[in-house]
Amino acid sequence: MTSLIAGEFRKLFTTRLWLWLLVGAMGLTALYTSLLIGFSEDPDTMTAPLHSPEGQRTLFAVASGGANTLVAVLAAIGITGEFRHKTATATFLATPRRGQVVAAKLATYALVGAAYGVACLFVVTAIAMPWLATKGIEVGLLDNGLPGTYAGVIADVAIFGLLGVGLGALLRNQVATVVGLLVYRFVAEPILTGIPALDSWTTYLPGSASAALTQVSLTTQEYLRAWEGGLVLAGYGLLFAGAGALFSMRRDIT
Amino acid sequence: MSVYIGPAIEAAGLNKTFGDVKAVDDLTFSVERGTITGFLGPNGAGKTTTLRMLLGLVAPDGGSATIGGRRYVDLPEPGKVVGAALEATGFHPARSGLSHLRVYCTVSGYPLARADEVLDDVGLGPAKRRAVGGYSLGMRQRLALAAALLGDPEVLILDEPANGLDPEGIVWMRRFLRRYADSGRTVLVSSHVLTEMQQLVDQVVILRRGRLVRQGSLAELSSGPPWALVKTPEVERLLAALGEGVADLRVERLAPDALRIELAAAHIGRVAVDARVELHELTPGRDDLEQAFFELTTEHESEREPA
Repeated sequence: MTSLIAGEFRKLFTTRLWLWLLVGAMGLTALYTSLLIGFSEDPDTMTAPLHSPEGQRTLFAVASGGANTLVAVLAAIGITGEFRHKTATATFLATPRRGQVVAAKLATYALVGAAYGVACLFVVTAIAMPWLATKGIEVGLLDNGLPGTYAGVIADVAIFGLLGVGLGALLRNQVATVVGLLVYRFVAEPILTGIPALDSWTTYLPGSASAALTQVSLTTQEYLRAWEGGLVLAGYGLLFAGAGALFSMRRDIT
Repeated sequence: MSVYIGPAIEAAGLNKTFGDVKAVDDLTFSVERGTITGFLGPNGAGKTTTLRMLLGLVAPDGGSATIGGRRYVDLPEPGKVVGAALEATGFHPARSGLSHLRVYCTVSGYPLARADEVLDDVGLGPAKRRAVGGYSLGMRQRLALAAALLGDPEVLILDEPANGLDPEGIVWMRRFLRRYADSGRTVLVSSHVLTEMQQLVDQVVILRRGRLVRQGSLAELSSGPPWALVKTPEVERLLAALGEGVADLRVERLAPDALRIELAAAHIGRVAVDARVELHELTPGRDDLEQAFFELTTEHESEREPA
């Protein structure tokens, strides 16, 4: 299995996509961080004040929002690309037990997701520390439950890697998977979670589970507890991957 | 470790249907080790589907396909037993040929230097660091072959490897495969063009509409009498010399100095030398083979599905 994972990393690092998406994730994180701090004193803001522990956890949690969708896209492209470019033939010739290929991709993109999460946490730190200092807010990086949010962000982005592999394994079509992921995350889910009447079940959607896991606090939204959010999110990833490995990946490679 | 002494490749009662189309229909054949076997048939005869069933990429609806006595999926190190080049399209366009092969070296546990070796073997050494997107079809064929060679396998399975190769490339491919088989290893190579194959293969397996129509040696395929084309300024003397001891010599006069004679070219040449007859051309007949292939693989009117 180690050699399969090493092979997946070799595939990833011999094209440039990982780099562009990392730049994109860090850019998105920088944008979210700036918006959150910039509007923190706005009377209509939904975030808790930035000198409070809840506010600081919410601030550092934006790293997952910047990274997780793009990691899911990277992971989805990593598996659907095998079908789009027909490298699935060579891949399944080298590893005829296809479940092992899916498992190796799950492990690989979980690790990649964790690394993206760390990179985006550094982006938040680099922007927030000096900016908040000018507002007279000192952030203790190990205080206010922030380490829990770091762990949540890293776990969250890693699980989105699983989700992307799982969804890609299930759908196999690259355009459908990537467009589906983007439309869901940036359009469908924000609309659904914005409808108060649906709150009792939208808390179980991946985005809300992700917010729970990273300990986001918004005045307008109730979330699951962090560990519940993590379980829900991991459940989606493993459900897709399991269904993909059982059904979709068994289909003929013609 | 048990020693397997059966055929290198065995298909038994293979069946595969795609939708309403019976792609492979109760197909049984075997490939002996140490031979180059041509897997022949027109486009759409089921060749690619059969090869993919042998390699575990397509699941048969029925029957079995084994390599060295085992299903592909049961081979512990498949790349060391069988190498396959199935299509010249299975590459990420942004990845270099070298990077592509190194991925599979890593996965299969071969040293990375093996990728450079096989690229040199197929003559792609100078282009190995370029993105595959810029490769010609012929170069992709060579890269696909290089990938098949990575594990230094006992058996090579190639699907239409001559597609997209220029004449020089085809000659190169023939020599390469001949050398490979001469070292005691086995090659199964598909083609829809007999002429590409007839100078290369020892055995043929001929397919039409998913069914086996002939398996045997190339010589058995051409069952008609031998013939040759002859050009000579001394037509009458040649015929007189050939006619001695032959009851009914079948000769067709194509031009005043050109004949089609139903005798083996070697025999005509020997007689001409003995009789000191000047020859300007002596060509062994070939189209009987092509004719046989054509007749075996052409759809007959009565077999067509009603419209």
